Amino acid sequence: MAATRKNRIELLQGTLDMLILEQLRWTPSHGYGIGQAIRAHSGDLLRVDAGSLYPALHRLERQGLVKAQWEISDRKQRTRVYRLTPGGRKHLAGERSRWEQLQAAIGGVLNRARTDEA
Amino acid sequence: MRPPLWRRRQDEELDEELQSHLRLAIADRIERGESPEAAASSARREFGNELLVKDTVRDMWGWTPIEQLWHDLGHARRALWKAPAFTLAATLTLGLGIGVNAAMFSIVRAVVLRPLPFPNPDRLVQIDEVDQRGGGDRRGAVSWPNFRDWQQRAASFESLAAHHVSNFTITGIGPAQHVPGAVVSASFFETLGVNPAIGRGFAPGEERAGSDVAVVSDAFWRDQLGARADAVGADLTIDGRPFVVVGVMPAGFVFPIASPAPLVWVTSAQDARVESAGDTPITEERGAHYIQVVGRLRENVSVTEAQAEMTSIAAVLARDYPNDNLNRSAAVLPQLEVVVGEARRPLLFLLAAVACVLLIACVNLANLMTARGIARQPELALRVALGGSRLRMIRLLMAEAAALAVLAATVGLALAWSSKRLLVQLAPADVRGLDQVTIDGPVLAYTTAAAAICALVVGVIPAFRATRGDLRSNLGTSRTAAGTRSQSRWLSGLIVVETAAGVVLLVAATLVIGGLDRLSHTNPGFDVSQVTTLRVSLPDSRYPFREQIAFYDRLLPDLARLPGVSGAALVGPLPLSGSRFGISFDLPGDRAVETAKRPSAGFAFVSPGYFRAMRIPLIQGREFSASDNDGGPRVVVVNESFARRFFPNADPIGQRIKPGLSTTEPETPWREIVGVAADVKQVSLREEPAPMYFVPYAQGMITTPHLVIRSAGAAETVPESARRVIAAADPELAVYDVRTLEARLADTFATQRFATWLLTLFAGLGLLLTAIGVYGVLAYSVSQRVHEFGVRAALGASPGQIASAAMTTAARMVVAGLIAGIVIATALGQVMQGALEFVDRPGLETFVTVAAILLVVAGVSTLAPIRRAVRTDPMQTLRSN
Repeated sequence: MAATRKNRIELLQGTLDMLILEQLRWTPSHGYGIGQAIRAHSGDLLRVDAGSLYPALHRLERQGLVKAQWEISDRKQRTRVYRLTPGGRKHLAGERSRWEQLQAAIGGVLNRARTDEA
Repeated sequence: MRPPLWRRRQDEELDEELQSHLRLAIADRIERGESPEAAASSARREFGNELLVKDTVRDMWGWTPIEQLWHDLGHARRALWKAPAFTLAATLTLGLGIGVNAAMFSIVRAVVLRPLPFPNPDRLVQIDEVDQRGGGDRRGAVSWPNFRDWQQRAASFESLAAHHVSNFTITGIGPAQHVPGAVVSASFFETLGVNPAIGRGFAPGEERAGSDVAVVSDAFWRDQLGARADAVGADLTIDGRPFVVVGVMPAGFVFPIASPAPLVWVTSAQDARVESAGDTPITEERGAHYIQVVGRLRENVSVTEAQAEMTSIAAVLARDYPNDNLNRSAAVLPQLEVVVGEARRPLLFLLAAVACVLLIACVNLANLMTARGIARQPELALRVALGGSRLRMIRLLMAEAAALAVLAATVGLALAWSSKRLLVQLAPADVRGLDQVTIDGPVLAYTTAAAAICALVVGVIPAFRATRGDLRSNLGTSRTAAGTRSQSRWLSGLIVVETAAGVVLLVAATLVIGGLDRLSHTNPGFDVSQVTTLRVSLPDSRYPFREQIAFYDRLLPDLARLPGVSGAALVGPLPLSGSRFGISFDLPGDRAVETAKRPSAGFAFVSPGYFRAMRIPLIQGREFSASDNDGGPRVVVVNESFARRFFPNADPIGQRIKPGLSTTEPETPWREIVGVAADVKQVSLREEPAPMYFVPYAQGMITTPHLVIRSAGAAETVPESARRVIAAADPELAVYDVRTLEARLADTFATQRFATWLLTLFAGLGLLLTAIGVYGVLAYSVSQRVHEFGVRAALGASPGQIASAAMTTAARMVVAGLIAGIVIATALGQVMQGALEFVDRPGLETFVTVAAILLVVAGVSTLAPIRRAVRTDPMQTLRSN
């Protein structure tokens, strides 16, 4: 446990929102499911704790990007299931392109530094 | 305070969501092979601090303005709960003020503001004839021929209808009964815009004599016709003649608005009947003014336009029929105004009076809040020191005022609800709509608005004052910065305002009490005690004129012979029964004048013994006797005013006049004056004496008379024994309108009595609240000056000096308020007299009375604080600081 905790990467502000929306793009899910999916798809590197996940979900709900509904899960549990709204889908697309620009920009800066070193 | 409901629900959902997260996590772990215990503990560990998670989510939700308000109200509730005496005093004071306003408004709404219950009620108008003889306009009833001419000529109206109340004797359903009803034109229901619920209204052809059809009310249909579906087409015996019921009106239909409400309507065919062929029916008499006319204005025609048209039509009719219509015009008035009538101005005045009570209550509360604000300055200082903004402080104080207003509105509505019945009982019975006084939406809205304004008034200014200046300088001191010049000026100002309002109320109350006292001690000119009055309906079909005279000739001696009865007579119209007849007459000599300028005077027909039975003094000559009958010489008795006006320099006895009145003779006869009686009040106790003359009933009975029966002992048994005597004469006759003269007299000033009761009550409330206010401010000022008094006492001031020092402030405020109040009341004198006609203008006497009452009450309210000032122990005071 201690080892994995060390490997955790702190998420940038706003990035968590994007990851949550991305998860919901594929399938509606409850909070636990979203957390598990992010963890699984990040190769166990990104762990979202409940204290970040739920405020984020409720904030997205207030912003109208996701919609929540009480449903019975496959395990016969009453869970609060979130789905993406059309607005959320648009927002995600915007965030993704911004993220890609940012990634390219940061990548460019880091690559130049490496080139200069060489 | 608990969070609001929606917030609690959200909390529960969040909790459930987090729990489901945990359960899912545990289930996952168990699936992966962990033991249930280990799974539970590791899942919890990974989840972290559940409370912290919840808090973070909640923070994210944020506070909406409504939740902010909720929060402030919660704070206010806690603050008020901690000061129960203040809260109770404030709630009761304001609740009382709001309560009387809600109650009064509910009455005003039901009586004055509620529209008439007909479609497009604002287009309904009443059209009166106006008698312009002798200068001035006297509005009065209309005659059938004039009505029909209006109907044909006037273009301003969709429809015009005529009506007059009448009474019918219904036989054939149980014992004979007397039923209130109306004779109407065929256009009646159509004009009002209400169709019968069953059957039909009247057809134009049914105004012809002989079409005996009737429409009945819902109540009559249920009570008398057994609510039968086949009631339409049923026979109904009215005044001894067979009628056919053609329609049943829907429940709640009342018109003309009269007390008692009409139950049966028949057409003008009822009036068009004549006793013998060749007679002129009264529906053809242009000079017989006794019907009311209601009209429905065409869309987009104003009352003014209709009035202009009616004035010109009346002018044409005056030219065409000078004998009857010269100097007669027409007046158009909104029907609602006519219906609300006299009640309007007193009620609106009373509404203004309760607004005064509310003002006093608000001022008192502002006082309390101010004193409390000052006392709380250390607390507020602490809050500011801890980072509260001034705005936030003001908001907290405002929330307190709002919470108080909500409490007070609740108390006030409860008060209004419970006092409603009492108010309605006190009110004069014939005011329309009193049976429909309810606490409904508009009343609630009015109350809410009143409470909201109060909250603003009592909240804003004290809040600003309490948070003014550098509050932090008060931090750490236990003594407050009160007693400053500005503070005491503000408090004294409040007292001056409420004393002035109290004085205005007191002046009004003193005036109405004086006015009512004068009214109830007005001598009507006859002795009202132990006189029973009643009427008997003699159906025209069985009792033509001569038979009616013969019937009463036999009945009166029988009634007079009853044990305990000292006299029985008849009269029409009965004084104080609401009607006055006027008939014009010719004077002797060469004073022959054109018809329209003939003098007119009040008229009544009476039986022999009438003046004795009523104890109306005869000034000269004699009363009528049994020989003044149809066969005897034509005679007349006049009253003092008549004699003074028309025979100022001659002995009236033996003079002759010729009233336009005949019963059996072919031409109106000259009549000799045989007696002069004292003046009596005919309609109202406030009327000035007016000329009037009386003829023997055998020579002039033109309407159903009232019997007056004077008893030597108790009057309670008279109605019963009179009924027995009448039933013995003819069992088919209905006896009705049985009332004592005393009750009739009381009815004539019911409105004035109602206004007096309420104004006295309101003034009492206002005075009480003012006294409480004076007490509160003085007690507060003494408590602030205890230190000063202690020092003074230590320096040798006598108790008297200290008392006068404490008193001066209070005395100044009250006297200033008194003077302001007197100035306002004097200015309002005219308004008051306009609204309540029976009162005098306020004079010196009024003001002396009011000042005395106010000073005594204010004096009493200063006793306790002054006692406290005088008893200050100098040693203790000096030690404490």
